[in-house]
Amino acid sequence: MKKFLLSTALLSMIAQPAFAATGQANTSAIVMFLVFIAGTMVITWWAARKTQTTSDFYTAGGGITGFQNGLAIAGDYISAASFLGIAGMVYVSGFDGIIYAIGFLFGWPVVMFLVAERLRNLGRFNFADVTAFRLEQTPMRILAASASLLIIALYLIAQMVGAGKLIVLLFGLEYKVAVVIIGTLMMIYVFFGGMTATTWVQIIKAVLMLAGGTLLAALVLMAFNWNPDAMLAEAVKVHPSGAELMAPGAAVSSNPLNALSLGLALAFGTAGLPHILMRFFTVSSAKEARKSVIWASSFIGYFYLLTFIIGFGAIALLVRHPEFYNNLDLSAGSNNMLTALIGGTNMAAVHLSNAVGGSLLLGFLAAVTFATIVAVVAGLALAGAAAIAHDLYANVIARGRSTEKQEMRISKISTLVLGVLAVLLGIVFEDQNVAFMVGLAFAIAASANFPVLVLSISWRGCTTRGATIGGFLGLTFATLWVVLSKTVWVDVFGNAEPISPFPNPGIFSIPLAFFSIWFFSVTDKSARAVKERDAFTALTVRSQTGIGRSGAQDH
Amino acid sequence: MQDTIVEKVLKHPKYAELVQRRTRVSMAFFAVALVIYSGFILTLAYMPEVFAQPLGPDWTMSVGVLTGILVVFSAVIMISLYVYFSNKIFDPLLDAIVRDVE
Repeated sequence: MKKFLLSTALLSMIAQPAFAATGQANTSAIVMFLVFIAGTMVITWWAARKTQTTSDFYTAGGGITGFQNGLAIAGDYISAASFLGIAGMVYVSGFDGIIYAIGFLFGWPVVMFLVAERLRNLGRFNFADVTAFRLEQTPMRILAASASLLIIALYLIAQMVGAGKLIVLLFGLEYKVAVVIIGTLMMIYVFFGGMTATTWVQIIKAVLMLAGGTLLAALVLMAFNWNPDAMLAEAVKVHPSGAELMAPGAAVSSNPLNALSLGLALAFGTAGLPHILMRFFTVSSAKEARKSVIWASSFIGYFYLLTFIIGFGAIALLVRHPEFYNNLDLSAGSNNMLTALIGGTNMAAVHLSNAVGGSLLLGFLAAVTFATIVAVVAGLALAGAAAIAHDLYANVIARGRSTEKQEMRISKISTLVLGVLAVLLGIVFEDQNVAFMVGLAFAIAASANFPVLVLSISWRGCTTRGATIGGFLGLTFATLWVVLSKTVWVDVFGNAEPISPFPNPGIFSIPLAFFSIWFFSVTDKSARAVKERDAFTALTVRSQTGIGRSGAQDH
Repeated sequence: MQDTIVEKVLKHPKYAELVQRRTRVSMAFFAVALVIYSGFILTLAYMPEVFAQPLGPDWTMSVGVLTGILVVFSAVIMISLYVYFSNKIFDPLLDAIVRDVE
């Protein structure tokens, strides 16, 4: 079946006339992407032989080093959406794009100082192992799985739709074909190679992306004699916003509370994203988990700096290439450099690669972007399979009595179901506005998973009742708020007026979750609560020392 | 059996020291990160004019853009410092406990 799917995917790609957005044939993109697929297929074949147990499937047997994991996390984190999206935001509004990047990056100090090492010491496969460590299995697993699956679904849709459209532009494929290729590749990686294959796909892709980004930024700076300020001066000169490009823009000043709220969700959301947290169980010890964070944050921080250069460079340089625009007009008053860019502003980085590096660099970047999407989607599917098979099936439905073989079978079935679902959702949501989805995913992660995780491992008083009620309140509040806000209520459902005053719920939903976990824990007088508070001592010993840790040294 | 290991760790003289010092250090780092990040967000939200100023008369780069770049560096530096502390202070304490208990 593997061979059949693969050849179908390849055939359908070759059969299509491959024209890039700019109208040029881009064979180099296709060749490079095919090389990537061939390479990752070999890795998947190799990984499949090593993937026998659930521990192999979910965590690559705990045998990934801190450095490798750091690269893989960077690969997971720098999705096409965040690379092209942030470069595009800088292209549109300069400084405001930087705000997003910093928010995403500041998730990492939070992960490091609050959860990373303790997570590794307490869990085996996913973060629900940690929240259920001393609290009751069933409610904690259901809470974690609900929030995780919702986050994964939102992320998957956003990736699939964004990716599908991008590939239409880059490779000239049909939208549905693009979505099916992504879904198929993802299923092959995860189904056969589990976490080992997914990790190596992420690592390869991260290296390619860092190399491509470095080259692109270097070429941009070279065009300005390595003087970043000269680049900024040129950008300010040609951009319709002029000097305001360097300042916090209208989006922020019109509603500071919203900016604050978004900032909170971005910084605390990372420590609640299931597919990111899951990566910490692929290393052997808390020490390696620490190394993972330092490498991940260095690569991510470095990459965001490149993205700033790429975004501002795109402003300064693209206007010299009217072929990337539909009827570019730069005269004052009718400057259309933002609206006329072919493929929209998210394509700024892609066009820039063509402008400074020719079709070879364009091809490389296009291939890397495609690879990125496949890799991120694979990581999401694996986390989703873990939520279904490990949380819902093994620990809730079978109440811990299932065999490893059964759990493995369920997780593989889940992978296929998630793959098909991702393709279907991608097609259903093709023409929907999906811009709000990643923001909502971060808001849920920050308002449900993050508070439950942090309080259950660092506060003795936390009980099952408090964590369950608080987690579900955070989840529900954040979701309702976003649904009733302008981004969904008005832009998607077409109502006239939003009900939420601004789109981002974080400033209310995160404190609400923390407060209700506290309130419903301290008022919990049950016998179970007493036992759970007593169990905190043993949890602390394990989380601090790692003594008695399971799953890590299997191999 | 599990209990005896837990009790052994709890009785170990270095365990309390480890937990206390590590908690203090990670909380301090978290507080600094929070101050830097919220300082950045609050400034851009409520005092955007501070960030709008250019660095100097001949500069295009604004205070905000430079601050943003420095904030990126600060995150990586904080994490590196924390790892340095962990390797220098906490790991030796931890190794001593693990050696004695296991």
